[in-house]
Amino acid sequence: MTTAHGNATAAAPAPGADTESVGIAALDAGKSRRMPGWFVILWRNGKCRVGLLMLAAFTLVAVFAPLIAPYDPRLEDFATSEAPSGAHWLGTTAQGEDVFSQLVHGARTSLLVGVVAGVLSTLIAVAVGLTAGYLQGVVDEVLSFFINLGLVVPVLPLMITLAAYAPVKGLWLIIAVITVTGWAHGARIKRAQIITLRTRDYVTAAKFAGDSTARIIAYEIVPNMMSLIVVGFMGSALGAIGAEAGLAFLGLGDPQTVSWGTMLNQASLGGAMTTGQWAWVVAPGLVLALLVTSFTLVNFGVDALSNPHLRED
Amino acid sequence: MPLLQVEDLQVTYSPRDSAAVRAVDHVSFTVGEGEFVGLLGESGCGKSTLGHAVLRLLEKPAAITGGRITFDGRDVTRLDEDELRPMRWADLSTVFQSSMNSLNPVITVREQFADAIAAHPEATGGKVDVDERAGELLEMVSLDRGVLRRYPHELSGGMKQRVALALALVLRPRFVLLDEPTTGLDVVVQRDILDRLRELQRRLGFAVLFISHDLGTVMEMADRVMVMYAGEIVESRPAADMVVRQLHPYSAGLLGSYADPRDADVEVAYTPGRPPDLSRRHDGCLFQPRCPVAVDACRTRHPSLVPVERGEARCLLLEGPAEQAAHGGRQGAEAAPGTASAPVPPPVRNVAVFSTTADSRGREGGEPVMTVEGVGKTYRTKRGLGFTSTRAVRNVSFTLRPGRVSALVGESGSGKSTIARLLTGVERPSRGSVRFKGTRVDRLRRSALRRYRRHVQLVFQDPFSALNPTRTLAYALGRPLRNHLGMDGRQARARAAELLETVGLSPAEQYLDKLPSQLSGGQRQRVVIARALAPEPEVLIADEPISMLDVSIRAEILELLDTLVRDRGIAMLYITHDLLSARLLADEVMVLNQGSMVEHGPTLEVIGDAKDPYTRRLLAAIPRPGTSRVPAMAGSPAEAATGGTGGAEQRPPGI
Amino acid sequence: MTFFVRRAGFFLATLWAAVTLNFLIPRLEPGDPAEALLARLSSRTEAVDPAQLAAVRKLLGTPDGNLLQQYWEYLGALAQGHFGVSYTYYPYSVTDVISEAMPWTLVLVGVTQVISFAVGTVLGAWAAYRRNSRTDSLITLGSTFIGTLPFFWIGLLLIFVFAITLNWFPEGGGYGGGSQPGWTWLFFSDAFQHSVLPAVSLLITGPIGWILGMRNNMVQNLGEDYARLARAKGLSRRRIALTYGARIAVLPNVTGFAIALGSILGGTVLVESIFNYPGMGRLLLEAVSNKDFPLMQTLFLFTTVGVLLANFLADVAYGFLDPRVRRKEAA
Repeated sequence: MTTAHGNATAAAPAPGADTESVGIAALDAGKSRRMPGWFVILWRNGKCRVGLLMLAAFTLVAVFAPLIAPYDPRLEDFATSEAPSGAHWLGTTAQGEDVFSQLVHGARTSLLVGVVAGVLSTLIAVAVGLTAGYLQGVVDEVLSFFINLGLVVPVLPLMITLAAYAPVKGLWLIIAVITVTGWAHGARIKRAQIITLRTRDYVTAAKFAGDSTARIIAYEIVPNMMSLIVVGFMGSALGAIGAEAGLAFLGLGDPQTVSWGTMLNQASLGGAMTTGQWAWVVAPGLVLALLVTSFTLVNFGVDALSNPHLRED
Repeated sequence: MPLLQVEDLQVTYSPRDSAAVRAVDHVSFTVGEGEFVGLLGESGCGKSTLGHAVLRLLEKPAAITGGRITFDGRDVTRLDEDELRPMRWADLSTVFQSSMNSLNPVITVREQFADAIAAHPEATGGKVDVDERAGELLEMVSLDRGVLRRYPHELSGGMKQRVALALALVLRPRFVLLDEPTTGLDVVVQRDILDRLRELQRRLGFAVLFISHDLGTVMEMADRVMVMYAGEIVESRPAADMVVRQLHPYSAGLLGSYADPRDADVEVAYTPGRPPDLSRRHDGCLFQPRCPVAVDACRTRHPSLVPVERGEARCLLLEGPAEQAAHGGRQGAEAAPGTASAPVPPPVRNVAVFSTTADSRGREGGEPVMTVEGVGKTYRTKRGLGFTSTRAVRNVSFTLRPGRVSALVGESGSGKSTIARLLTGVERPSRGSVRFKGTRVDRLRRSALRRYRRHVQLVFQDPFSALNPTRTLAYALGRPLRNHLGMDGRQARARAAELLETVGLSPAEQYLDKLPSQLSGGQRQRVVIARALAPEPEVLIADEPISMLDVSIRAEILELLDTLVRDRGIAMLYITHDLLSARLLADEVMVLNQGSMVEHGPTLEVIGDAKDPYTRRLLAAIPRPGTSRVPAMAGSPAEAATGGTGGAEQRPPGI
Repeated sequence: MTFFVRRAGFFLATLWAAVTLNFLIPRLEPGDPAEALLARLSSRTEAVDPAQLAAVRKLLGTPDGNLLQQYWEYLGALAQGHFGVSYTYYPYSVTDVISEAMPWTLVLVGVTQVISFAVGTVLGAWAAYRRNSRTDSLITLGSTFIGTLPFFWIGLLLIFVFAITLNWFPEGGGYGGGSQPGWTWLFFSDAFQHSVLPAVSLLITGPIGWILGMRNNMVQNLGEDYARLARAKGLSRRRIALTYGARIAVLPNVTGFAIALGSILGGTVLVESIFNYPGMGRLLLEAVSNKDFPLMQTLFLFTTVGVLLANFLADVAYGFLDPRVRRKEAA
């Protein structure tokens, strides 16, 4: 809708790149209130608000898991394979553990993996994307090749192979594997964005103002792609949570860690379906879906801001 | 009955998260059969919205909120999409603003003709040879028939524009809406397309509503001109009359921004200020804050469109004598010729003008600060297995001296931007040398280059891309001060405030913490200029600094540059495609054509007595409203329909 | 032409990178998988073919020889098609085992992905055509919601409901005890029965990416100047949606299809594991749990090369479909 822009706002013609306009909007919004600008914008979006509230709830559960869970998730003191009851809201496992307590503690694992792997792969993506896009030339050719390679290599088989060779099993290994395999998509998008941004006149102006390359990237370019970085982080976190659950479900996770994936793995192995323990099977999948939903809802807010075409009329 | 009649039309934008904007407000006009009507206005005045409303192409959040559009007796506003479809293209067709993107990228040009023909069997009688009809039209717009087999991305901008024009005529429509059809093209190409358009319009007799911000072009092309400001029509009169005398001060300001660069003394006007915010209510005249002749009443009373002479205008000073007396009257009223009922005021004098006289330019200046000698630049591009080389610049020499402005004139692709890159050390010449006070610029590296750039600063073309949208003005201005002049934060802020005052953004304290998005285009360009001045450079390179600005404020920015450069003894290279602005600003002019300098000398000599054929073509491409208007052909449909309003020969004597 | 040369070049380069990655991964490990495996192999009673042993050595690395020499020998072994012997399925060679499993995966993935792509593209286009209508919100919100469900969990629920509770379909496996693989009607109907639940679990989430991608692309295209001009031309809504919306919007989906193949194969591993389906994914898991490194390495190599090849083909197809790519590169 170029016409709408050009004519509706008499004083301010259509802004250039979408991510730039988000930056301005965020700064404008932040001025009037105490909250950071991006938060105000996200909060205004209905879907996004629901997502943020859900995410906050999950975080609270994860942080206060020991207080919320009625039992130690590893305690094998109860009757095995029990159906839900007042004492065990979601029943017990084949080893006699409390399913609900495991569910509560599982939130920790998922959020931890999501945040840490999300942050790490976003950092790699930003570093590779920025370097490739800003420097161009041979560096770009080489890095782009690795980005494209990372995009096409089948991720789960690679994860499985890497996890299988690793001498130690553990959550940090899973996080490392997910990070190593999950940065390419974000890097590609950031590279494309920086290639448009680096030709902006204000970047040239900063060079003529005597700014160093590092400062130009940090102060002139990155603030204009914040929304892209946030969307990228959400995507990576989402992928990491799913990947952890998948690997754990396949039995490749850390057997010592309680996670929703290992719960499903044990439910499947422990014959939850033949004994009719639906709660043991349904609950972990459902909370996983809810967590993913909350991320997706938040992403709606960020996405809609950076791409006006997706905005609802 | 007119072909198109618009009555009391209102269009409102109602975005979800901001206040509603009245983009088009109570607009009424008619277009007669075969008439060529121009609609003139600056960006944001509502002209394109009006065009889209007429075509019924408005999309959310814009909607027609009042009034009526009648085409050939049918009320178009009441028709639904199915009823409209047969009328589209067969009766009303259009050429969009950015034809760069108005052709479908994945189908051939032929298919885009074919689907328009196929969609209207009723208009073509069913049997039409697509290749024949489309080929014929392409030839009319000077294109080869082979273009039919091409995809849009294989065509140049000018070619796409011609295709779009041919496409608009394929069903022999009775009305064509042209929305800035040549914006973004080189002047010579523009000229060619517009000439062809006028000729076709005369031959085929379709009516045209020509939307443009380019007054010169509209005045030359149109039979009748409507000027739009802030969603309203402020003046609507035969072009020939308006050229002679503008009744609305805004029209006067616009027309005042044109002049013949070959004249001995050149004076152009500008209208300081910016259009009002249409999401707010305004009681008085919308133009009052910018108006040079406003009286007290203008602040409280909204003028209505009153008939004057052979047209209409919207200005309190033109309304009945009783009111004028009440509002203090107008100075030196003289009896208006023609219409007794509506007296006409004297032509509005523009208060803000930027002028130059024959002897004010061409000073010698001091020792050269910048010397360019025999510079050439060849680009090698990989092509398949081998390389092709393009010679962007050939053997160019010139000098820049303190307090003097040298204009580098040429079209896109002429090599002028390459020269700017060579001067700033962004690129190195393949041949020749660039010297800054004895330093070889073409040999500088890294930190030496960074130190050198303190002395050579840039003013950019696009004020919207030249300032980082996330950084405040204090930051943007502070960087060069801290890096090049070694100031600390407090000193830099104080100096930044001084700089803002220098470029007319006053009081500076109000601006320092603003973001670029809170400023208008003209204000942004002032900031860009302030930033370039910050490190106290000796050379300023201004690359088309006014071409993206609204016509009414261009001269204002030129005047600012002029004052600053001369007061501070800066040597300036002014890069432009526009000979008028070169004439106003420059002491010497260099004309660049395909990388070679074809003409070089004092401004008046080069422009007043152009020797090179290319320079002459550039001069011929400048629209000169009122002086070189093509006389309408006798008995043309335009004249028949409008009662002969379109002839240059009817111009009152004395002009 | 240059376009295709470039794509072929990229294919060869990625192929080389994948082969090298496959060489490096086992060597990054601190222990020595090859020696461990050889020890386990030689503890068997049957005689081990020395040629196969050599191949295992080349694949997984042995302490002798420098890395470059090992790499050279590894490439040589690959070129001759020597991938070693499977520990789990001894004495069958790795290639034998894989060729047994491959058709199952190819058919399951091939059929479900083509259906997903087709259904997703059509639904996405439909949603964009009726944008901001109820149909649109139903399609977009519905698929967004389903997209958040972990799809191995959907598989579990399918087994729970349709296999265990309702007993409509078998719980898992590729074919029943009654039939043997062969060109018989019994086998095919049996195999079909077994493939229904895995296929459904892939088809529930499969189209979502295509739906959302197609819708967003098309909504964007329909907002472009050329679509507005098409409206001004008086073309029918259908014609505009097809030629000016869908036809352009489907192009990015084609490259998307190629890029998605890698993650699709990952999904297959989960599905095959849940349904105990005799394809390459389950084989990979089996190899992992048995520490059958030669099988694992070869499977990783095969899937990667398969994905790269599919990618290359999709790129070539894109080159033919999009005139902007084809002509620009040719000029």
